[in-house]
Amino acid sequence: MTRLILAVLLGLSLAVPAFAHDPRPGPNGGLKVDAGARHHAELVVNGTPQVVVFLYDANDQPVSAQGYRANAILVVAGATQRFALQPGEGNRLTGTAPVSVPAGTRGAVQITAPDGATAQARF
Amino acid sequence: MTAPLSYLLAVLMMLAAVFGALPAVAHEGHDHGAPPPPVSVTIAPRADASSADFELVAIARGAKLRIYVDTFRGNEPVQGADIEVDGPGGTNKATAMPDGAYTLDAPWLARPGRYDLAFTVQTGDAIDILTATLTVPEPPAPPIPTVSLWNALIGSAWAQDIQARFATRDTSLWAVGGGAFVAGLVVAALFRRRSRAAITAILAALVVISATPSDADSPSAAAPLMAERDIAQRFADGAIFVPKTTQRILAIRTLFTEERSFTGTVELPARIIPDPSAAGFVQASVAGRLMPPPGGFPRLGTRVEAGDVLALVQPAIGAADVTSQQQQSRELDQQIAIIERRLERFRQIQSVIARAQIEDAELELRGLRTRRANLERAPREPERLVAPVSGVIATVQAVAGQIAEPNAIIFQIVDPSRFWVEALSFEAHAINGSANGRFGDGRTVTLAYRGSGLADRNQAIPIQFSVEGAARGLRAGQLLTVLASTTDERTGIAVPRTSVLRGPNGQSIVYEHTNAERFLPREVRVEPLDGTRVLIVSGVEAGKRIVTQGAELLNQIR
Repeated sequence: MTRLILAVLLGLSLAVPAFAHDPRPGPNGGLKVDAGARHHAELVVNGTPQVVVFLYDANDQPVSAQGYRANAILVVAGATQRFALQPGEGNRLTGTAPVSVPAGTRGAVQITAPDGATAQARF
Repeated sequence: MTAPLSYLLAVLMMLAAVFGALPAVAHEGHDHGAPPPPVSVTIAPRADASSADFELVAIARGAKLRIYVDTFRGNEPVQGADIEVDGPGGTNKATAMPDGAYTLDAPWLARPGRYDLAFTVQTGDAIDILTATLTVPEPPAPPIPTVSLWNALIGSAWAQDIQARFATRDTSLWAVGGGAFVAGLVVAALFRRRSRAAITAILAALVVISATPSDADSPSAAAPLMAERDIAQRFADGAIFVPKTTQRILAIRTLFTEERSFTGTVELPARIIPDPSAAGFVQASVAGRLMPPPGGFPRLGTRVEAGDVLALVQPAIGAADVTSQQQQSRELDQQIAIIERRLERFRQIQSVIARAQIEDAELELRGLRTRRANLERAPREPERLVAPVSGVIATVQAVAGQIAEPNAIIFQIVDPSRFWVEALSFEAHAINGSANGRFGDGRTVTLAYRGSGLADRNQAIPIQFSVEGAARGLRAGQLLTVLASTTDERTGIAVPRTSVLRGPNGQSIVYEHTNAERFLPREVRVEPLDGTRVLIVSGVEAGKRIVTQGAELLNQIR
C-alpha cells in the first residue's frame, strides 16, 4: 500500500503547475517574455518607429522567423498603435510603427506560426 | 496479472488522468500562460488576464464574448472603459452593458479551438493591453479509448498528443482518466485480497466498458450543449471559484497588502464614565421630606442648567427639637409678656421716669418679638436643591413626600456630549496618547489619554481617557474595549476586522484573491491593532490581494 501512496503523491506533485517565467532582460537589450507554450519573444524598441521582435523556443534557442506572421499592439503616449510585423533575417520579426516607440513601451504581440498555431506575448 | 503489475497499471492510469487534467501546458519545468482555471462542467469557457491596473475575465456565451473588467487591487468594477479586442475576428470594440459588463459579437466562438485575444482597456487615465487565451472545447466527442493513451505513452509524440487532448479541454478526459484511476485502485486492492470472484467481475466490467464507448462513460459530455451556468463552488483544497457575476453581487472588494510598522496596541476592558467635571450629583444636606419645585420634578433626560431648582426638601424636625423649641417659645412669650407689662407701666408714669428707660424697654420688646417670629419660621423653610452643572438628568430618585437622607443621591446630572472612559490595566503600559474604543456592536470611538492612577484598584491600574468628538449614543456604565497604542513598534499587514474569519478548524483565515475568479483561504496569525483593523503578523506577505468586503459571504460557499 505504501508504494500506492507514494505513486499518488508523485502524481499530485506533477499536477501542481509551475509558475511561468517572469519578464526578463533579453540578449538584444529588450524585454523577453513567454509567448504561448512553445516560444519566448523579446521586444526591442529604441525610440524610433522601428520595432523588432526576436523569437526563441522554450529553451531560449533562436527560432527562424520565416513563415511567421505577427501583429503588434503597443501603447504609445496613451494611444494604441496596431501594425504588422514581417519576418526578417534570422529570428527577427520587424515592423514599423506609425509613431516613434520609446523604450519601455507596453503592449502585446500576437504571433502566428507557420503551422497556424497562435501565441501571444505581453510586454 | 501479479500485484506489482496492478500497481503499475494504477499508477500509469493515474498519471494519464493527471496529465489529462492539467489545463496548462507544462514544458521544461514551467508552464506558460495563466494558472489553471477551475474545472467544472457547468461553467462556460473563459479566460482571464490581469495587469497592474486591471483584471479581466472573458467568457464565451454562445456567439458573444462577455467581458468583465475590474481594478486589479480593489476588485472594483471598471465602468465606462473603452475595450478593443484583437482576436480572430480582427479588431473589435466591446459595448458596455447595463449590468457593468461588456459584450462583443464573436461568431468565431461557435468553432472549437484555442483563441489568442488581446484586450486594450482604456479608462480616463489608464490604458493597458491584456492578453488571454480562450479555449472553446470540442462538442461532445466519443470517449478516448484507454488503448490510445497507452500508445501515446509509448509513442514519441506523446507530449504533443496530450497537449492536443487537453487543448480541446474535453471533459470526457476527466471522466475517463478519473474513472480509470479509481478502477486501477480497486483492481489493485482486490488483487491484494485475492478475491477471485471479484476480480473476475471487475475484469468483466472493464471489458464491457471498453467494448462500449457510449455516452455512459462520460455523462458530462453532453454538458456543453446544455445551458452553462456559472456557479460559485469550493474545491477540495479549499479554494473557491467565484464567477465575476457572483463577485459583483456579493460586492467582493480586496486590499493590496503592504507591510508597514505600527505602534503596539494593548486591549483593555473599560467602561464609560461621565466626565467628572461635567457631571454632578444632587443630594440633600438635611434629612427631610422631598417636595416638587414649581413645575414638578425634572424627568429623566430633561436638560437642566446649573442653578435650576430641581427639588425642595422640607426638613424633618425631631421630637427633642420640637420640645426645646416649644420651651424656648414659651420662655420668649413669657419675657415678651413681662416687657409688655413693664412698658405699659412706664408709659403711665412717663412724666416721672427717664425717657431712655421707655426706649430700652421698647427695643427689648421688639428684639424678643423678632426672635419669637424667627423661631416659628426657621425650621419650616424648605432646602432648595439646585443643579450643580448643566446637563441632562441621568437618574431620578425623587418621589414627592419621600424622606430624603442627607447623603442620598436624588438626581444625577450628566453632560451627554462629554464622557470619559475608565479602563483597567493589569500591567503598567506606556500609553502614548491615542486610543480607540470598540463596543460590542462594532462601533468605535476615538479616545484621548487623560491619565492613569498609581494606586491599584482590584489589582489593576485605572487608566482614564476622554471621548473625542461627538459621543452619540453613549451612556455611563457601558462596557467597551479600549485599544490603546503603546510606545513599542510592530510590523505587519493591517487589514479590516471583517477580513479575518474563523476557519472550520477554528483558525483565523483570510481569503486571498489569487486569480480573477479564484480565492484561496490563507491561515494567518493576527494581533489587535485598533478599533477597525487587525494586524496580520504572519501568513500573508506584502503584495497579495486580501478580501476586505464580502469575506463572510465567500466563506459560506460550499
